[in-house]
Amino acid sequence: MGYPDNAAFAVVGYIITSVVVLVYTASLYVRIRKER
Amino acid sequence: MERNVAVRSLTRGWALTLSALLGLALVYVRAALFTPIEGTQGPAQKIFYVHVPSAWASLLAFAVTGVLSLLYLRRREHKLDTIADASAEVGLVFGVVMLTTGPIWGKTIWGAWWAWDAKLTSTLFLFLLFVGYKVLRGAVVDPETRARFSAVIGILALVLVPFIYFSVLMFRTLHPAPPVLRAGAPTLPGAMLITLLLSVLVFSVLYVGFLMLRYCLSVLRELREEEAADGIS
Repeated sequence: MGYPDNAAFAVVGYIITSVVVLVYTASLYVRIRKER
Repeated sequence: MERNVAVRSLTRGWALTLSALLGLALVYVRAALFTPIEGTQGPAQKIFYVHVPSAWASLLAFAVTGVLSLLYLRRREHKLDTIADASAEVGLVFGVVMLTTGPIWGKTIWGAWWAWDAKLTSTLFLFLLFVGYKVLRGAVVDPETRARFSAVIGILALVLVPFIYFSVLMFRTLHPAPPVLRAGAPTLPGAMLITLLLSVLVFSVLYVGFLMLRYCLSVLRELREEEAADGIS
């Protein structure tokens, strides 16, 4: 029996995780730079 | 905290954050290429390696806010309130990851994006409670009143954290029982367990890195405001 063809769901999940984490990192960078 | 101490902490914060981001890339590679595909759920199950660690980091952050809120009401130290606020914001970031990756995984295995069961509902409630926490902090001008009011919300939220964790054992829910932190041995196969633990470690380091940076941001902001006030007077 083969696996269900649902790899796209995992890819979307990883993309969302990356975007959220990177956007927050960038927001910290910009806000800290503004204060220094 | 003096400006130079804050700047030194910033360096450590950035080192931890950037190391964790690199670690996250390694988790993706290990999860995609070196971790077996789960037999019944298929490749979509690999969302597990970001969903569970983000939930862990989010609950950890909210619990830290709750404990520091308790300590603040007891000791009235401004630093405790500042760290609690920083932890709440970082918890919301991980909460966004948890609450978006969860429904994507749920759609593939339950056939539904959302279910109003005990764990999902209480987790959403906790997230919204901390949205309220941040809105309240933005609305109250007096620092001491702001710290006191938000500490009460932080403590109320702390009560929810163990409830969320144990809700899968207390109620009939779609969520599976914890596969690792449970009575008896973990039920995950070895390769999956290693990937999960690696990801939990990476998200924990990322939490600490974000927390340090966000705390330093608050300190730098307060120093600038003090300097501006001194300039006016």
